Amino acid sequence: MNAHGAPPPETPWDLNGAPCALAQTNSDGAFLRINATFCAWLGYEADELVGKRRLQDLLRVGSKIFHQTHWVPLLQMQGSISEVRLEMVHKDKRVVPMIMNAIRRDHGGGAVHDLAAFIARDRDKFERELIASRKHLETAVAEANRLKEEAKDRALFAEQMVGIVSHDLRNPLSAISMGTMVLGRGDVPTNQLRVLSRISRAAERANRLIADLLDFTQARLGGGLSVDPREIDLHATVAEVVEELALAYPHRELRHVREGARTCMADSDRLSQLVGNVVSNAMAYGEPGAPVTVSSAVGADVFRISVHNTGRMIPAEALPSLFHLMVRGESATSGSKNVGLGLYIVSEIAKAHGGEVMASSSAEGGTLFTAVFPMSRADQSGS
Amino acid sequence: MTVLYRNNVQVAGSGPATVFFAHGFGCDQNMWRLLQPSYAKRYRTVAFDHVGSGSSDISAYDGQKYSSLHGYANDVLDIVEEFGQGPAIFVGHSVSSMIGLLADVRAPKAFAVQIMVGPSPCYVNDGDYQGGFEQADIDSLLETLESNYLGWSSNMAPAIMGAPEQPQLAEEMTNSFCRTDPKVAKQFARVTFLSDHRVDLHKLATPTLILQSTDDILAPVAVGEYMRRILPDAELKLVQNVGHCPHLSEPGLCADAINEFLAKQGF
Repeated sequence: MNAHGAPPPETPWDLNGAPCALAQTNSDGAFLRINATFCAWLGYEADELVGKRRLQDLLRVGSKIFHQTHWVPLLQMQGSISEVRLEMVHKDKRVVPMIMNAIRRDHGGGAVHDLAAFIARDRDKFERELIASRKHLETAVAEANRLKEEAKDRALFAEQMVGIVSHDLRNPLSAISMGTMVLGRGDVPTNQLRVLSRISRAAERANRLIADLLDFTQARLGGGLSVDPREIDLHATVAEVVEELALAYPHRELRHVREGARTCMADSDRLSQLVGNVVSNAMAYGEPGAPVTVSSAVGADVFRISVHNTGRMIPAEALPSLFHLMVRGESATSGSKNVGLGLYIVSEIAKAHGGEVMASSSAEGGTLFTAVFPMSRADQSGS
Repeated sequence: MTVLYRNNVQVAGSGPATVFFAHGFGCDQNMWRLLQPSYAKRYRTVAFDHVGSGSSDISAYDGQKYSSLHGYANDVLDIVEEFGQGPAIFVGHSVSSMIGLLADVRAPKAFAVQIMVGPSPCYVNDGDYQGGFEQADIDSLLETLESNYLGWSSNMAPAIMGAPEQPQLAEEMTNSFCRTDPKVAKQFARVTFLSDHRVDLHKLATPTLILQSTDDILAPVAVGEYMRRILPDAELKLVQNVGHCPHLSEPGLCADAINEFLAKQGF
């Protein structure tokens, strides 16, 4: 019976040496009793504290205020308070973080407060780390949001700038084109004619670049390129642009292959632009002496335009990003000035028609760009 | 949203004037429970919780509005307008004395008497002015608040041990004392302890009683004397008391001082 129920008589119940700090104060906080553990933790002798100091006198200032605004009223109103973290100050000025419980005992006309406390240094460290990491996280999130907003603003501004500048550039460029045309009339020495035609080609290239820039801004700001699909003869459209391109690249061989029916619904200007961009890409990156082949094909469900060239293969890992903005291959000829807009616009044109562009490349087979467009019902009935 | 719900307004008693009780930083209107009943016998009494404290409507907490004491002063004017009958006697504890002052300055005819319990216009020392604290002390308070609220789930006061000698305390009541959202508590502490309204003191024309404890680290006697000097129509009364809440620890002495002052003002 006694074996588990009561302690052996020779072991005293020693509150003075208990493994926690114990104290009793009057309702003003003045120490009435304090155990040896509490004294040891604070570096005082009991008689330096009892009747001489108050609990709040041994608190760090922040805890002193908290003691006034929370501890005292809570003890007064609900008679107890627990798990409060207060910072006490050791006799040697060290800060001792403690977790405290207290209850109020009313007797006669007055009241005493019984306190129990533990040192909470490890818990304190852990909590500080928690608080610090929470703060860190909050700051990081705020910073990330700020940067995101900034980036958005900057992107919008840049796109607007591109739009405005490219628009404004058109006027001086058309003045240059007009000027070269006028200068080319009449009796002009051959060497000057060569210079004039170089100026004129450069102006055209600049014009195409500006058109690309404007399309780019429209695609980005306006949520996609505008297209005006009509019933067209695909082969005729492609043949016309291939002819123009052949003039622009007099030293290269450009072929056109036709397959299937002729009619489809598409924006012919946009398709010409698409062919122009892909071909100029093939001219820039393909093998200089080898032919470039443009195919136009109309099938039952889809129509397609593809451009093929031989030459150095495009690495497989680079293929998926070819149609992203500003991704630029390594040009085979030093003269090429591709800012990377061309293929992005090609893919936007395909998207605007409900289609898509694909690229494949191998060392033996060369590089093949294919734009595939769905046939609409009107197309099928038309053909 | 009604003012009643927003500020958990509790009306009691009836009489020729309305006494408004405004709690300070820390707990809620329960702080007045030893003082308010005796006034409800003679006056209409209105007690309330500041938004973010006690049982106020936490959804009404607007960080912008309550980034200064003026936001709280506007709420006080709403409450006085809606629940006041006859002359208004405003009893504010601690930071609420300053809130009452700002409300009074904004609406000079709204109040007949201001009673300030443990007021301080500025807690931080500044040159010759001794508010009692340095900036670093306030920072250490904010830290203490942060670490104490860390273990408390939001909206909950610290766990309550049994209070065997207080059986009359209902469970739900014990939980509402000092119930504050941790973020709100921190901002309220910042606004309370970092505000400086010394320049507003001279604008208060209403007769004012300053009740100061003889031993209060938050509102030292010197601060009470400073206020008495600057306030145009103020009387300073010291209450023999240790601590910042004489209305809890010495409610009788507080009531005596308030009654004497009210009598002088014709109430």
